[in-house]
Amino acid sequence: MKNIAYILIMVIGFGTTSLFSQDDLSPERKQAIDSLALEKVRDLSKYVSIIGNKETQWSEANRVIDRAEELFMQGSEIGVSSLVRTEINYYDIRNYFERLMRLNYNKVEIEWYNIEYVSDLQRQPDGTYVGVITIFQKFKGYDKEGRLVYQDTTKKDITVYVKRKETQIGGRLIGFWDVLLGDIRVKETTM
Amino acid sequence: MKYFQNFIITALVIASSFTTNAQSGSYNGFTNDETVLYTMNKQVGQFVKRFNMEEDQFGKDLSKTDKRYHSSELRENLLPGMFDKYNPRTSGTLKTYFVDDVTKTDNPVFLNFLDKNWYAEVSATFTANGDEVNIILYLTLEEENLGSKWIISNVWYSYFPRLFPTPDSTDQSRYFLHPMSHELDFMNLHKALERPERIQYYASNEYRPDFLTLFFYQTKIGQLKFKQINDVKFHFFQIPNWYFELSYFNRNDTNSGWLISNLKYINDDEKKELIKTYNLCTSKE
Repeated sequence: MKNIAYILIMVIGFGTTSLFSQDDLSPERKQAIDSLALEKVRDLSKYVSIIGNKETQWSEANRVIDRAEELFMQGSEIGVSSLVRTEINYYDIRNYFERLMRLNYNKVEIEWYNIEYVSDLQRQPDGTYVGVITIFQKFKGYDKEGRLVYQDTTKKDITVYVKRKETQIGGRLIGFWDVLLGDIRVKETTM
Repeated sequence: MKYFQNFIITALVIASSFTTNAQSGSYNGFTNDETVLYTMNKQVGQFVKRFNMEEDQFGKDLSKTDKRYHSSELRENLLPGMFDKYNPRTSGTLKTYFVDDVTKTDNPVFLNFLDKNWYAEVSATFTANGDEVNIILYLTLEEENLGSKWIISNVWYSYFPRLFPTPDSTDQSRYFLHPMSHELDFMNLHKALERPERIQYYASNEYRPDFLTLFFYQTKIGQLKFKQINDVKFHFFQIPNWYFELSYFNRNDTNSGWLISNLKYINDDEKKELIKTYNLCTSKE
């Protein structure tokens, strides 16, 4: 339902197929696409919080992992490093979330800083636009006695792919901008 | 510097204004570390936009009609904060000259994503016959079809120069195929081919080994296996008479993120020589 809403927003924002050939992004269009991309990143943040929450039932967490996977381009990976281990571990999206679900803490708190930075969009050779959104997350893990046993703050640089697509609604070809997330680099910060 | 202080003060105000947030678990009120995150150059692109004065203190794009856009006065105040302040190489008077140069009102200098002559340097670990080795890959942007892409433009692996040491001219002058070798069906060629340590002497004096091809070859046949990336930094050559290096500083400080970590005043000839290191295998000048 939400996806349909996005499409409608795009239609209102950018018109119909007559504009399809206009691939260059005006600042207004870029702003609209940024909002759409940020919406996906916020969905992702919300899913991470649900999946990481120890009170979320296993079946519900799996359902949310399915939803989270739908945000990503196929083959996307998450590359994770920490302050003590600079080596980057690569996980596919499902594997990353399943590991998050199975973390061995009695209670987990995931908090998001009110800071997000959205890059310019650059075109890759096939014409798809690519950007990066940076967000920051604080993670805390508690043991059975309620003691804080682990915490970190991570910077997450999330790839965003934006592609012009078209769909047929009521016999008319409607152009819209499709946004998918890609690889994520997760780097621990010193905070 | 005043603008940078205002920048931080504004960041504090923004941070403190987020007393509630729709996202679960957000912070209540001001936290010092959010200021650090606001002031940090979080992406290379953000460094470039701040360098050019193309975004406001909230990280939002400035309209080209905004009087702050490309403002030399604001850039003059903002730029000193974009150097690694703990490094003597980037905190002296050279920095002041650099800032003066790029913010001249009659001839300001800006950075652009598709500029030629800026390079990424990726330091990575590979394994060679079971041993870990450090290899540096140089990358640059190349335009193709509708957009652009990063390409590997050169490589540095200490083993390769050992294979091709700087020739000793006396030694080199003793090894050649005489000009009548063709009449003997090049029967003397075996002398060259059976002494591989000197084989390059039989090529042109202009010959320079192509380390990137050697690297691709060793990777293809499995002699080199990628293990991990250790560090990434960038080299900027597009500003006349200047070179600077950009590195990432992961520290709990308002002087963090992507910052200028080295600065040199160099002439065009020196610049060309330096660029050769990064750019051996592209058609760019």
